Parts: sequence; C-alpha cells; structure tokens
Amino acid sequence: MMIKRALVSVVDDDESIRESLPDLLREFGFRTRAFSSAEEFLASDCVDQTRCLILDIAMPGMTGPDLQRELKLRRRQIPIVFITANREEAVRPRALEQGAVACLFKPFSDTALLEALHLALRVN
Amino acid sequence: MDVQSEHPAEEIKDLRRCVNDLVSVLALPAMWSGGAPSQVVHTLLGSLRGMLRLDFVYGRLSDPSGDAPIEMVQVAESGKRKLLPEEICKTLRLGVSDDPRKWPSRFQVSMGDGDVSIMPLRLGLHAELGVIVAGSERADFPTQTESLLLSVAANQAAIGLQEARLLAEQKRLSTELDQRVAQRTAALAAVNEELEREIAERRRAEEALRAAELSSRLIMDSIPGLVCAMSAAGEIQVFNRQILEFFGKTPEELKSWATSDAVHPDDLPRVVAAFSHSMRTGSPYDIEHRCRRADGVYQWFQVRALPVRDTGGRITRWYVLLTDIDDRKRAEDSLRASERYLNLIVNTIPALAWSARPDGSAEFFNRHYLDYVGLSAEQAKDWGWTAAVHPDDLNGVVAAWQRMIAFDEAGECEGRLRRFDGEYRWFLFRTNPLRDESGKTVKWFGTNTDIDDRKRAEGETRRSEARKTAILDAALDCIITIDHQGCITEFNPAAVRTFGYDRDDVLGKQLADVIVPPALRERHRQGLARYMATGEARALGKRLEMTAVRADGSEFPVELAISRIQLEGPPSFTGYLRDITERKLAEEELRRSEAFLAEGQHLARMGTFSWRVESGEITWSDQLYRIFEFEPGGLVTVERIGSRVHPEDTHILIDMVEQARRAVSDFEYEHRVLMPDQSVKYLHLVAHGGRDQEGRLEYIGAVQDVTESRLSEQALSQARSDLAHVTRVTSLGVLTASIAHEVNQPLSGIVTNASTCLRMLAAEPPNIEGARETAKRTIRDGNRASELITRLRALFAKKESTNESVDLNEATREVIALSLTELQRNRIILRPEFADDLPVVAGDRVQLQQVILNLLKNASDAMSTVDDRPRHLRIRTERETGGQVRLTVQDAGVGLDPQGMDRLFEAFYTTKNDGMGIGLSVSRSIIERHQGRLWGAPNDGPGATFSFSIPPRQRGTTSAG
Repeated sequence: MMIKRALVSVVDDDESIRESLPDLLREFGFRTRAFSSAEEFLASDCVDQTRCLILDIAMPGMTGPDLQRELKLRRRQIPIVFITANREEAVRPRALEQGAVACLFKPFSDTALLEALHLALRVN
Repeated sequence: MDVQSEHPAEEIKDLRRCVNDLVSVLALPAMWSGGAPSQVVHTLLGSLRGMLRLDFVYGRLSDPSGDAPIEMVQVAESGKRKLLPEEICKTLRLGVSDDPRKWPSRFQVSMGDGDVSIMPLRLGLHAELGVIVAGSERADFPTQTESLLLSVAANQAAIGLQEARLLAEQKRLSTELDQRVAQRTAALAAVNEELEREIAERRRAEEALRAAELSSRLIMDSIPGLVCAMSAAGEIQVFNRQILEFFGKTPEELKSWATSDAVHPDDLPRVVAAFSHSMRTGSPYDIEHRCRRADGVYQWFQVRALPVRDTGGRITRWYVLLTDIDDRKRAEDSLRASERYLNLIVNTIPALAWSARPDGSAEFFNRHYLDYVGLSAEQAKDWGWTAAVHPDDLNGVVAAWQRMIAFDEAGECEGRLRRFDGEYRWFLFRTNPLRDESGKTVKWFGTNTDIDDRKRAEGETRRSEARKTAILDAALDCIITIDHQGCITEFNPAAVRTFGYDRDDVLGKQLADVIVPPALRERHRQGLARYMATGEARALGKRLEMTAVRADGSEFPVELAISRIQLEGPPSFTGYLRDITERKLAEEELRRSEAFLAEGQHLARMGTFSWRVESGEITWSDQLYRIFEFEPGGLVTVERIGSRVHPEDTHILIDMVEQARRAVSDFEYEHRVLMPDQSVKYLHLVAHGGRDQEGRLEYIGAVQDVTESRLSEQALSQARSDLAHVTRVTSLGVLTASIAHEVNQPLSGIVTNASTCLRMLAAEPPNIEGARETAKRTIRDGNRASELITRLRALFAKKESTNESVDLNEATREVIALSLTELQRNRIILRPEFADDLPVVAGDRVQLQQVILNLLKNASDAMSTVDDRPRHLRIRTERETGGQVRLTVQDAGVGLDPQGMDRLFEAFYTTKNDGMGIGLSVSRSIIERHQGRLWGAPNDGPGATFSFSIPPRQRGTTSAG
C-alpha cells in the first residue's frame, strides 16, 4: 500500500547519494527533498511534513543518531531509515534500538529501499 | 390883530420897532448859545424887560432833575411901584400854577399896592421847561405886538432853554461822563495797578513755585527713595528720577500701576485695598509690597503715602515714598533663619549651656541642660537650678558664682550636678560676662562640662600606683627598670631570684654591669647611647634573645622585651626578662627533628600541611612551599592555594573545601597546579581530620608531587593514542573500513541511479531524458569510485617493517598502560605476569604491540557480556623451553567453539556483531613474519586463551623480512 505524494526527506553529506536517491524516490512516487546536513534539515520547513527520513549515519557535525535523538526530544515521530557506508559501525544496532525502522548498507538495492519505506510508512 | 388906525405912522413905528424887536429876539439865541439855562432866562428877561419896558419879568425854570425850580426876577427900576423881587416871586409862585392849562393868557394880580398885568408864557409846549411871567402895570398890557413878541421870545426862550437844557444836560452828561470816565479810568488804573501787582506777585509766586519745584525735584531726585506725587484723587502726577529708573517704565505706564505688573500680583489686591481706603478716608497708608524692577525682579518696598492739605483742610496732594526694604526683608529672613539656626546650635551643642542676668539669676538653659538635670525651664530659672547641685558642693558653687558677679569677672568652679536619674557627676562650671559698649555687664553666659571621668581618673591614679607595686612584686618575669643613663631604678623579686642579687645591691648600678655578659656590655651601652642621641630604637618593642649573666658569673639565655616609659622628663626603660634555658634546649630538639622531616619530605617530594578549618589557618612544611613555588614561610590561605590550582581543576579545590566544611574525616584528591612559568605539576593530596585540644577541627595532610609519574602516564597515553592511530592507519581492518566507507558512497550512487534508470525506461511512456541523466550520473560515480581506490592504495601502501630489539615485557606493559582506562571502563581485572628473564626479540615493535593490543581487545570484547563472574584477564610472558618468547592472553569470556577455531583466523570471519574479522588474520600474519606462530584455544573453564611465540633475537643476525 503505497501512499502517493508523501514527502520523503534525504539527509546525507555525500553528493552521489543526494543526486541519485531523490530521482529513485520520485520514480517510487514520493515527493522528495535532499539535505546535505542534519542541521540543514532541521532549519528547513520540511520537518513537519516529512513522512519518512532517509538518514546517513556518519556525517560531520550532527550525526544521524544525533538527529534521531534530537527529533525524539522534539517529539517528532518521523520514521527513520538509516543508510550507512560503514558496515562495521557499532552504532547500527544502537540506532535500531533507538527506534529506527531500518538500517541499510550502501550500496543498497532499490527493492531494499522500497521495502524499508513501506515499513516506515506503515509504521506511521 | 386889532389894528388901530389912529396913528399910522406910529403904527409903522411900532411895527418897525416890533420887527426890530423880533429881530433882536431872534438874535437872542446867539447870545445865549452855550450858556446855562439860567443864563438864557436871564438874558431873555433882560432883553424883554428892555424891549417891552416891562415892570418886571419873572422866570421860573423847572429843574429837569426835579429839584426846586430856579426863580429869577428882574424888576425895572423905572417902575412906579416899588416891587420887591421877593414879593413878586412869592405872588407869582402862588398865583401861577404849574399846570399851564389853567393859565389864562393874561391876568392881573395884586402886587404891592396895585394890580399888575401879567402874561405868563410857557417855556416849552407844556411849560415843562418853566414859565416866564411878564408883568406890567399898564393896563393894556400886553398889546398884540407885545404878545407876539413875548410868544416869540418865549418860543425862542423855550428853544434856547431846551437847547440850553440840552446843552446843560450834555454838559452835565459830558461832565458826568468825564467824571465817570475819570472815575472809571481811575478805577481802571487802580484795578490795573492792582492787577499788575497781582501779576507781579503771581509771577513771583510762580517763580518761587518753579524754584521750589525745581528744588523739590532736585530733592526728590536726590533722596534715596522712590517718590511720586499724586493728585487728591490718586492720580500720579510727578515721578522722581529714581522711581522711573527703578520701574523702567514711562510715567504713563506707571500711572496705570494698579493694572500693570508694577506691583507683585500676590500683593496687588492688598495694595489696591489700602490705596482705595486712603483715597476715600484721606488717611495715610503704609504698606509693604513687592515692586517689579526694570529687569523683572520683584523687590520689597515700604510704601508710605501722606496727604498734603490746604488751609481749608482739603487734601491737595499725596506724596508717596517707596523705600527699598528688600535687603531688610532678606536680612530679616536670614536673621530669622539664623536665629532658628542659632537656636538649633544652642540646643544641639553637646554641652550644658545657660545664661543669667547681671544679678546672677538664671535666665536661659539650653535643651541639654534641662534634659540632663531633668528640670523644666520654669523650675530651673532664677535660682531653681541649684536644686540639681550636690548638697555638699552647693555652698561652694553658689559662693564662687556670687564672687564672679560681685567682681564682675569670668571664672570657673567645680561641683557635682545631679543627673535626671539621680546620679551625681562632677562638672566644671565656666562663666563669661557679656558687656555692652560702656563696659557694663548685661548678661552672663556659661557652660557646664562633664569632668567626672577626669575626676575619677585622678582618684584612679593614686590607686594604680598601689597596684603597680603589687604587680611588680608578684610577676613571674623579671622586671627591671633603668633610667636614661642606664642605671637600675627597679628590680623586682623575680629578677632577684633569677640573677641572684639583692635589690638594694643593684639599685643605682649600671644595668650593663649587672646582667649583661662582659663581652656584650659595650654594645649595650652603645645601643642605649645611640637611642638617647638619635631616638633610634632597635631594641624597643621586640622580643629579643640574648645572653645574660648571673651573680655567680654563669651565663644563660634570656628572652627579653624592652619598652620605654612615657612620662614627662627624660625617658626610662623597662625590661621584661625570662630565663629560657630549658626552652632553648627544647627548641634545639625540635629543630633537629624538623630538619629530618623536611629532608624526608624533600626526598619524597612530599609536603605536609595542617589546616584549621574554622579559622582558615593553614600551616605548610617547607617542601610544600617548594612544591607550590611560594616563598617559604609566607602566609598560606585557601585563596592563595587557589591561585596556583590549575583553572580546570578549581572545582576539585572547591569540592575539598566543601568536604572540609562538612567535616569529613578523610579526603584524597589529585589535581594540577599551574606555575607562573606556565608549567604544570600534578599533586596527589591526602588528609586526615581530627580535633585539637579545644575541639577544633584540624586536617593534617600530605601533598605529593606526582608530576613525573603523571607525565609519563600522559606520555604513555599519548603513545597509546599514537599507537592506536598507527593501528588504525596500518591495520587491514581500518583499510577495509575506510575503503568501505568511501567507496560505498559512489557505489550506492551507481546502484541507485541504475535502478532509477530501469524504472524510468519501464515507464509509460519511457522517460528517456531522465534515464539519460541517471546513466550520466552512474558513469560519474563509477569514476569517483576508481579514483578513491587509487588514492586509498597510495595512502595505505604497505611499508617496510622495521627490525629492532623488542623487550616484550616492556612492550606489553606499554600496551597495558595505554589500554588501562578502557579496560577499567569495561571492568576488566588485569592480571599481568611477566617473566623476569625474558629474552629480547627482534622485530617491529609497533606491529607486535598491535598484535598484543588485538589480543587484549578480543579478550575484553569476549567478556563484555559477562556479569556473573569477575572479568579476569591474564597476560603472561614466559620463556619457552626452546628459547622462544611466548605471550599469552587469557580471558574469562564467552569462550570459543573449538570447531570454529580455524575459521577464526580467516580473513573477514568474525563472531562479533560489529567485527570485521580482520584482527586475528592480520595478527597472525604479523607473527608469522616474525618467524613465530599465533594460536588460540578455549579454556577449561569459561573463556579462551590466545598466545603467540616468537624466537628471541639472534646475536649478529637480522630476521628475514
């Protein structure tokens, strides 16, 4: 059950990701916005509208888990799909413990992403 | 006319005669012109008589002015009868009435002795002028011609009379006129004279007035006041110069003073009222009000208006004088103020003040006095104040006072005054007379001063003398007093005992000779001389120690304090001495033991301190001063300590103070101190609290400078992080992680773009443009990835291993030191067992340490979930029988599956959740490169054990790379 035109926000400091993901998401039928940092996302007007957040874990400044914590503090219940390039990050299990819907390792397939999104949106 | 024709020639003669007579008659007027009427008649009568040969002619002239008529009669001398004029007049008067209408034309009257024919003739139409009577004895009188003649003559006479009358009238009038004129002229002249006199007088008066006015103006302008004059109705007419100058207004403006601002608005109603009242009643007014000066400032004036009356009592003028009383008003105000102030002073000065009349009776008491004695002004006045004087002193005081009055001299006396609460205190009564210009005393002033304390002090002195002696006698210390020459004047019993002299033996002797050892006598004398000469006192007021000598010659140490006695005259000195022999010995002991302690502290780099928390008193040993780099012996306070404490560790100091406040029994801290040269010292502090004799809390503690060990710890720590860094940089795991992270980004991009591309192409209709875009991005990402790998390979190229001698014990200790914190954090209990005689191995120290670190980490990780038993980690080094050096790491963790043992060393195999499985394979390769081997096995009990062994270093050979 896909909810059309939901806003999915992408937060990743890597340019390749920010370039490629939004198009895929649009192909999936979502509206999408990309941010190069968690701070940029927080400063934007998308925080309230975002139905799902695709969030890189390791970022300079505010990391993915930091943003997760911040959103929790702000009582923003946005489902988070973590994406990470680093498989040996010990924060992955912790991130999931903190309530993320999924944690995908880069590179991930489009189906894996879609599955995670479904999970995220269903949770909502 | 009856013409008688008898004698025509006579008739002609008669007629001729008649005509001649007529002519004569007609010519009469010429004779009497300008004459008086009486003259007219007189002439006429004469003419008629002559002409007509009358016997008499009578004439009566009426007086126009009503007076008695004039009678005239002329009698012919030739008459037969003697007619007396008086008779004629009388007869005719009676006979001829005044009313002419009654007159016949002729009639006869008896006169004398016969009858006489008379013919009255009217003078004037109605005989208003008079009458003429012609009389003749002839019987035929008057003939026609005579009648005619008479008539004409009468007419002429009338005319003439009228003329004459007129003339007379005229004359009279003229005379009268002249008279009148003369009179008038005279009168006029008189009046004129009068007038001239008056004018002259007036002029004089005016002159005088002008002069007066001028002088009055001068006066007005020169009197130092503002003057103006008003009419009786109150209109101002004259202003002196000053008033115009003051107001700065024109006279016209000033005239309307009641409606302008010349008078201060607040005063104006009052002024107008007074003014109106005065105008009405004529009584002068005298008011004070403010007037506006030309510059706008209002000043007080006293305004007096006086009326000027004429002889009749009517007011002719008002003179108004305005006197500037502004200064006076201000003076009055300031006087009032200063009076108030004076009053305040008199009642505030802290002395009892009073004043009295010349006879000595008191008039005034200030507040203090009355409050002090508790009397009211009523009660105290005159002689009532004596009630407060002490009965014993009263007579003396009153007598003294009366003497002062009698001799008119200021003076003083003492006496006790009773305070309001009944207590008597000594007072000094001081008086002073106030004299007028003539030198007579008009008032007395006095103050009473409390001298009670002084009086008591005087009593005290006597008592203190007695006490002093008692003190001297009882003192334990030796008290010796010398005069300015150094001679002993006092030598108390204690001195007697200490020095072994009798008092009498030493009094008057030189101190130096008595108690000062011979060797020091000169110096003592010099010191005293110097003091006397220069006032320089080196020895005064300080505690000194010196050597003294007893009577038996033995010398001993004394503690001494000298003070100078301050009295009048030359100085004397008192010395307080104490035999300190025993104390000196004790001091020596103490000094010795202190020296030991200090030495010990120095060696240990440990200082000691005591801290009395309540008073904040802190005592430090010398070593502690040295540690803190403070001047030894200086004052130590918490603040001063705080000034050295490292800014980042001040919270430790605060906590320490807090603990001390809460009186904990012990505390222990480590903190840094920052020296002035910015170097840092690490201090380890231990303190124990206790109570002193007074029950006060005191901490005794020790502070050790542990900088060296800390610094080496830090060096170790630094080395560890260096090592860790090296580890990160060189280990394959790191390499892989780095690759993974960096490369996965573009890889992810490639995968995502490709997926997108497929979807776009599969759309209806296909999104060719979008697909193209994604394809482009894919290529870009692919390039990025390959670039990355190239870079990473360059960065992480394998380096040549170094080859050195490595003491495995030391290497292991280092690794342990570096990992200590983390191991402690993970509650790992480390059990190192190092062999003593461990041979040195050859190899790459860092790599070997990497392996040891890896094993440690694995062991730690294996125990990370263990909670039911202690997390023991044993590290052991030993020498194998073959000479190899073995290192073993044993844990009490989750253990291993023996079957999977080999797999452990496979690259990328891991049982750890976040592990990459690189560590052990790399470790093994390192060890193998060192000609050694690495293996592991599960324990009998919980956990596993991993070991490696490497051959020792061969002398003279290097291990093959």
